[in-house]
Amino acid sequence: MSNEELCFHCFQPIPRGVDLTTTIDGEAQPMCCYGCQAVAETIVEQGLSHFYKYRDIDGNQGQALIPEELVGLEEQLIAYDDAEIQKEFVLIQNDTSSASLAVEGMTCAACAWLIERQLTNHAGVEKVVVNATTDRIHVTWKAENTSLSSILKSIHRVGYKALPFQQADIEEQYERQRRSYIRRLGIAGIASMQTMMVAVGLYFDDIDATTRLYFWWVSLLFTAPVFVYSCQPFFKNAWRGLRSKSLNMDVPVSLAIIFAFVASFYATLTDTGQVYYECVTMFAFFLLAGRYLELLARQKAITNAANLMKLIPAIAEKQTDDGWQKTMVKHLEPDDVIQIRPGETIPVDGLLLSEQGWCDEAQLTGESRPIAKRSGDVIYAGSINQENPIRLQVTHTHQNTLLAGIIHLQDDALGQKPRVVQLADQVSKYFVLATLIIATITYIGWHFVAPEKAFWTVLAVLVATCPCALSLAAPTAMSGAVSRLNQSGILLKEANVLAALPAIKTLCFDKTGTLTEGRFSILSQWNQCNENQAENEAIAAALEFASEHPIAQPFRRLAKPVELKEVTNIPGLGVEGSVGHANYRIGSLDFIKQWHPSADSPLAQANVFLATPDALIAAWRVDDELRRDAADVLKWCHEQGFRTVMLTGDSQERAQEIAGPLELDEIHAQLKPQDKLELLRGFQQQGPVLMIGDGINDAPVLAQADASITFASGSDLAQAGSDVVILNGELIAIRRLFDTAKQARRVIRQNFAWALGYNGIILPLAVAGFIGPLWAMLGMSTSSLIVISNSLRLLRRQNY
Amino acid sequence: MVPVAVLIVIAIIIILFWAVRTGQFDDLERQGYNILLDDEGPKKKPTEEQPK
Repeated sequence: MSNEELCFHCFQPIPRGVDLTTTIDGEAQPMCCYGCQAVAETIVEQGLSHFYKYRDIDGNQGQALIPEELVGLEEQLIAYDDAEIQKEFVLIQNDTSSASLAVEGMTCAACAWLIERQLTNHAGVEKVVVNATTDRIHVTWKAENTSLSSILKSIHRVGYKALPFQQADIEEQYERQRRSYIRRLGIAGIASMQTMMVAVGLYFDDIDATTRLYFWWVSLLFTAPVFVYSCQPFFKNAWRGLRSKSLNMDVPVSLAIIFAFVASFYATLTDTGQVYYECVTMFAFFLLAGRYLELLARQKAITNAANLMKLIPAIAEKQTDDGWQKTMVKHLEPDDVIQIRPGETIPVDGLLLSEQGWCDEAQLTGESRPIAKRSGDVIYAGSINQENPIRLQVTHTHQNTLLAGIIHLQDDALGQKPRVVQLADQVSKYFVLATLIIATITYIGWHFVAPEKAFWTVLAVLVATCPCALSLAAPTAMSGAVSRLNQSGILLKEANVLAALPAIKTLCFDKTGTLTEGRFSILSQWNQCNENQAENEAIAAALEFASEHPIAQPFRRLAKPVELKEVTNIPGLGVEGSVGHANYRIGSLDFIKQWHPSADSPLAQANVFLATPDALIAAWRVDDELRRDAADVLKWCHEQGFRTVMLTGDSQERAQEIAGPLELDEIHAQLKPQDKLELLRGFQQQGPVLMIGDGINDAPVLAQADASITFASGSDLAQAGSDVVILNGELIAIRRLFDTAKQARRVIRQNFAWALGYNGIILPLAVAGFIGPLWAMLGMSTSSLIVISNSLRLLRRQNY
Repeated sequence: MVPVAVLIVIAIIIILFWAVRTGQFDDLERQGYNILLDDEGPKKKPTEEQPK
């Protein structure tokens, strides 16, 4: 790919005819649109062009920023300055306010730096901390000098979208845990180095008795904090397990640590026997390291999930005696009259009062084309107003809308979701029990044979068989797999899904936004004279800039628009305007027929036409395009022997059009969310089902399916209900996911085989007294390291 | 010798706790980049703008 074809800022292809550049570090770089140009210029102006040098470009490049979207958003941002709304997420201390924001589009450390610098230059901002791991900004500002909305805008200006979010309650707890783990780990690490060093000295037999005792006391000094502080989580966990009358992994771990420490302590006090301080500290260090990594993976998943819960102030414009007034959606009552601007989401169900309106109901029904609504029709919450402001009479308030009904369906389905049983936990529970029984028997046995050796043999048994490797077998493989998937833009909300995937028999796909891009693009075109193509495109781009209709979107990026005069937008039909002295019309065939009653479509399935009063000069077919990799992925699915099914709310005809070339096994069209759910339950009778969807209407099926995947561009509700979120919009993620799941399963089996095999061999040896606690500890550590290294193989990146 | 080692260890632990408390372990990914990114920044535009 050469730089000439792609935008320097966002890596999107540059539309034909667009000739925009920004001078960065003395070189003119191509830009794809005015939005990117503005962002790049801001970055250069602020002296932040270093960003382009160090940003990570091969990682998962999120979706391109759509500048138009940002412009629309800026108007909404003012609402965040409202004191009532700020109560939910802003902390006010004296005269400074602070809030946490979730950022979209941040892909690397350079992005974090860019935002931090941009905000530090913002007047009134006291302190900014950008965290690239959690995709969050913590900002402190003086309310008298600046406002939150201007801070948000300032972030938008460098090309990122930041919004307050609903912080999960559990997060703070995780953060505290993480910090305490670092401290415990640090102490255990430092202490194990010191005790090991002393222990090496003690290995030499020619050490005199006084020095030896002195070294023992020194070791005790280093080990005591580890025993008292670092090992606390094991003791607490073991105690919790015992109190609820169940045996967990931490019971033998705690026993081994306590025995080893108390025995060594006793030996030091009485100056007899042996000490095992280095066993205690290293054992604690290795165990804590494993736990810490596990905690990090879980914390990452939770923060990602919380970042999705954006706090968007639901504000509506209500008709009152003093004209239109902004009000919170939750204060709306039935029979209120509200106004909705083009591009806004409709907040509640209501009846249309305006003459006519176009609504995009794709999120609710899956129908990808906007629906025409006449006065008196029901408009559903969650659909998007496409053209002209409309007025609604509220019929249902927030909790009673169709949307709320779908959410309810989803909650129900989530409750019934089949969960994978944690095999590893089950196995290790029995293992722990067996270990304890064997240890007891060993003690009793040795008590009769050689009482003085009984204690040390039992200690060796406990340490050697510590189900460390066993307990690491599954979690390390899981974190390896999760981390690799993260790198390729696949976010696992539920690590269990990896265990569920290999059993999947049926794949269910939604249509709009899943198999297709979910937005309109130009699929084919016809020109009366081919040499006029560029000119026609420029005229079309100019005319369509006047239209709010989603079908107009792809034209705006098609070419650089020409100057227009006297533009009129005729809702539902098209746009008319003049370039120079010539008149042009762009729109539906009906609109063109007003000029040319006998006009006929020159292009199969064309739906946008451009005409002069003399003739029809160009035609385009604009439709929702298949995802680029859809065909490849479906082919792969069929090779793997999956049954592929399409579940869509769209019409049979349009479903066929898309599914035909993909050769899906079954197509079910015109489904309501409830129908989808019933069909899916039917499939589940025959084997586990994976659902891939993105709309609000898919949310219940996503929750019901054994495993579910959605896209980051999908609705928040769909993301809340599914196990996996695909961040980069590539359908090939399905294949990556399946391959990783299979590999993870293989690695887990190898790990289990190794851990069980090792323990099976070492146990009889330890029971027979051939192995001392030190060798047992080394064996245990090596075994754990082998398991961890095996799991790390999962981190290798997939090359497709 | 040994008492010195003990003192050093105690000092290290105190530094560690301080670092954890002030959030220096919160984001390990990006701090390394700052040295690169901040590098020429001030040199390029030594004049300009508000004091921080």
